[in-house]
Amino acid sequence: MVTLEPVRDAPNTTETFVIEKVGLSIDGNDILSDVSLEFPAGEVVALVGHNGSGKSSLLKMLARQLPATAGSISYGSQDIGRYHDRAFARLVAYLPQDVSTGSEMTIRELVACGRYPWHGALGRFSEADREKVEEALRATHIENFADRFVGTLSGGERQRAWIAMLIAQDARCLLLDEPTAALDVAHQIEVLSLVRRLAHEGGRSVVIVLHDINMAARFCDRIHALKRGRVVASGTPATILAPDTLHDIYGIDMAVISTPNLAYPLAYVC
Amino acid sequence: MTIFRRDIMGPALVVLFLLLAGSAASWLLVAPSLSGSVQPNYDVTRLVLYYSTLPRLATALLAGAALALAGALFQQVLRNPLADPTTLGVSAGANLALVVASLFLPGLLGASRDLVALVGSAIAAGIVVSLGARRGFSPYSLVLSGLVLSLWCGGLAAILTYLNQRYLTSLFIWGAGSLAQQSWVIPLSLLWKMAAVAVVCALMIRPLSLLDLGDSSSAALGVRLARLRFIVIACAVALAAFVTSAVGVISFIGLVAPTVARLSGVRRPGQLVLWSPLIGASLLFFADSVLQLVAGGLGDFLPTGAVTAIFGSPLLLALLPRLKIRHRIQESPVWNRSRQWSGTRSIVLAAAGLLALLGIGIFVGRGIDGNLALVSGDFSSDIFAIRAPKIFAALASGAMLAVAGSILQRLTGNEMASPEVLGISAGSTFGVAIGLFAVAPGFMGQFAFAVAGATSVLAVIFLSSRRSGFAPERILLAGIALSAMVDAVVGVLSSTGDPRAVLLMRWMSGSTYLVDGPTAATEVGVGAVLMVVAFAARRWLDILPLGPSPSAAVGIPLAKSRFALFGLAGLMTAAATLTIGPLSFVGLMGPHLAREAGLTRALPQMVGAALIGGSLMVAADFLGRTIVSPYQIPAGLVSALIGAPFLMFLMRKKA
Repeated sequence: MVTLEPVRDAPNTTETFVIEKVGLSIDGNDILSDVSLEFPAGEVVALVGHNGSGKSSLLKMLARQLPATAGSISYGSQDIGRYHDRAFARLVAYLPQDVSTGSEMTIRELVACGRYPWHGALGRFSEADREKVEEALRATHIENFADRFVGTLSGGERQRAWIAMLIAQDARCLLLDEPTAALDVAHQIEVLSLVRRLAHEGGRSVVIVLHDINMAARFCDRIHALKRGRVVASGTPATILAPDTLHDIYGIDMAVISTPNLAYPLAYVC
Repeated sequence: MTIFRRDIMGPALVVLFLLLAGSAASWLLVAPSLSGSVQPNYDVTRLVLYYSTLPRLATALLAGAALALAGALFQQVLRNPLADPTTLGVSAGANLALVVASLFLPGLLGASRDLVALVGSAIAAGIVVSLGARRGFSPYSLVLSGLVLSLWCGGLAAILTYLNQRYLTSLFIWGAGSLAQQSWVIPLSLLWKMAAVAVVCALMIRPLSLLDLGDSSSAALGVRLARLRFIVIACAVALAAFVTSAVGVISFIGLVAPTVARLSGVRRPGQLVLWSPLIGASLLFFADSVLQLVAGGLGDFLPTGAVTAIFGSPLLLALLPRLKIRHRIQESPVWNRSRQWSGTRSIVLAAAGLLALLGIGIFVGRGIDGNLALVSGDFSSDIFAIRAPKIFAALASGAMLAVAGSILQRLTGNEMASPEVLGISAGSTFGVAIGLFAVAPGFMGQFAFAVAGATSVLAVIFLSSRRSGFAPERILLAGIALSAMVDAVVGVLSSTGDPRAVLLMRWMSGSTYLVDGPTAATEVGVGAVLMVVAFAARRWLDILPLGPSPSAAVGIPLAKSRFALFGLAGLMTAAATLTIGPLSFVGLMGPHLAREAGLTRALPQMVGAALIGGSLMVAADFLGRTIVSPYQIPAGLVSALIGAPFLMFLMRKKA
């Protein structure tokens, strides 16, 4: 087991992202309205909700890929718009949902791309950069095939390669958009365990969009649930996994059972 | 480490080989002047060597490097393996700007030729890139709009050249990309301009290679996408403009060099940007020295650019299957059909319009004083005898092209299909060109050659795209590439000064000037017969767009009906191309306008398209005859200048 070093600047605030009364409307359609949420540092926070609930849009807004049309988003008590591009990338790393591109590179080259915010267009690719890349490869257990092409990898390996790129980026906050969407259950567990270790052992904060409420409950410290662009529930997995709350989120009747060998309850559709 | 070794060895070997071959060829060129005894005072062979041959070789190296760098930059920043200054219309834009400036503002050209070329290519790049941005930089639509813009700029430049032949003959050879030099001025100025741009590129390599990760990932890493795109495209446009202003349009080097680099093992963008210029330089050096050897005394007049185009466009065709379809945007056609017009009413209106235009076309013209006037007086019957055949030939050709366009659009299920866009017209022109140079046949013989050319293109399209299920963009791009190649062949032929080339040029521009009575009668007769056959196939054409399985299920013989209909479209296109040239775009506009008018079923659409297509050509003929009288602009060129923007507008609408 590789131990993960804390990120270069250990989190000195108790909050990473704070969003207040944020709204997003595209062509007159309200995607998100009046969303206010907090994301404590060092936690894995899940965004859940039905399809089209605005969870991916919210994540894109946190990553500055979409501008908010109302309200404010701040990171470390500074408005995110005030950061320089590369400075922001040194703080926040983002993994988009569609990562099918970049197949012409080897894995090591892909991971090295994560160092761009640190060395920029002209800076030297230093020994420290190289070390960070190797460290990220080791942390995701892909060092053995680091010289293979990304296009030849299986889905789980590719996902880990991209997460390695985010690790090499050395940001204190990771934003992941459905990193387990195309994976089987074994690989889902593998990737989510890695994400959890990154947060709890590496001192990073993680915001992750997930479809599976049980996976969210198992691996996350906090769950924010969205429905039609509004926050319907927010709290620890234990408070979210209640039949009434689940009905509010998904609009169908769900029940919860507790199992003897798991620390959290299991939700299922009645 | 093997892959890394291959990264460097492969392209290095290619460069070495091309340079050696080029050096051998140029040694053969240079050797005679070196071996002669040294004259003490006035040594002509030495002068030619120092001030023409060597600068020409240097220019070839520099221009090749610059174009290849521009191509590599375009391909990387647009993430499109087909992008290059030719396919994006940048070179053609620069060329048109230079032609316009040399005609209307010659002083500007004296002040700064580069600036004029820059403005032209920047406008072209702006149009093409903004069209592409609307469709998410889809590789197909980008290159399609680029090639259409190229053809349009080429057409306009051709008209201007045609109208001002005395001033622009040298411009024509230069415009086709002649590397001939008289001094060191051009290679030296090209050198420092290129060096300046190359420095900017070097600063951009790292963020540029992050683009491979996709837009959102590279933005998440702190790359300023908009700024990066702007700077890199500006660099590439500048490189292309400098080369165009120095030596004219040299086609496809920017496409070939990065492709060769990739095939020889280059993988990363940084390496691509480094190796492409080296390969491009050695490639053009090789091509030009071989050309000089082969062409001998003609070498100064045979434009290298046109020759590279002949070899470049087949490469474009060969590369098409390598393009990923993933990027394709499935368009859902939404047409606002004006429902308040019934079908019959539209057809009656179109027919009335056609009659009115025919009347104007026959009876109105410019009189001796230059004003528009009705024909009257003693000579009217003579004038009618000259004028009527042209007008009726234009009418028949326009109608046939429009019907052929309707058939093709229905068969391929592709709204952008038309004889011109699919390259069928280009094929028949090519057939005529071969016929003219090989056996010089009469009208019927030319018709046979045109039919052979058109049907062979159709066969190629049919066979090659059956596997992709007639993927629309692929067929369109293949057709445009074919047209570009035919253009290039004709360019080369014309620069040889062969009188038959003039005849060919006339066809290309679609002049009805020499149509006489019997020809027009044949044209009208052929048109009438073919159109009746097409109308008879209306049931097939109604059902076939539903797709192969439903059509077969209701009992249509698929293979036979498709073969017959494609053949029919080929015949009509061949017949029409003989009078109005390959680039009229009537076959595209006719069916579309008919559909806009509410004619959606096969028969009404074909009738409407025929009426509209015929009217368009009659109008184009009239305009061409009167607008710059006493000169005549070929009717085909007039309609091409309207048709190409129409095509681009259609693509924009689909965004």
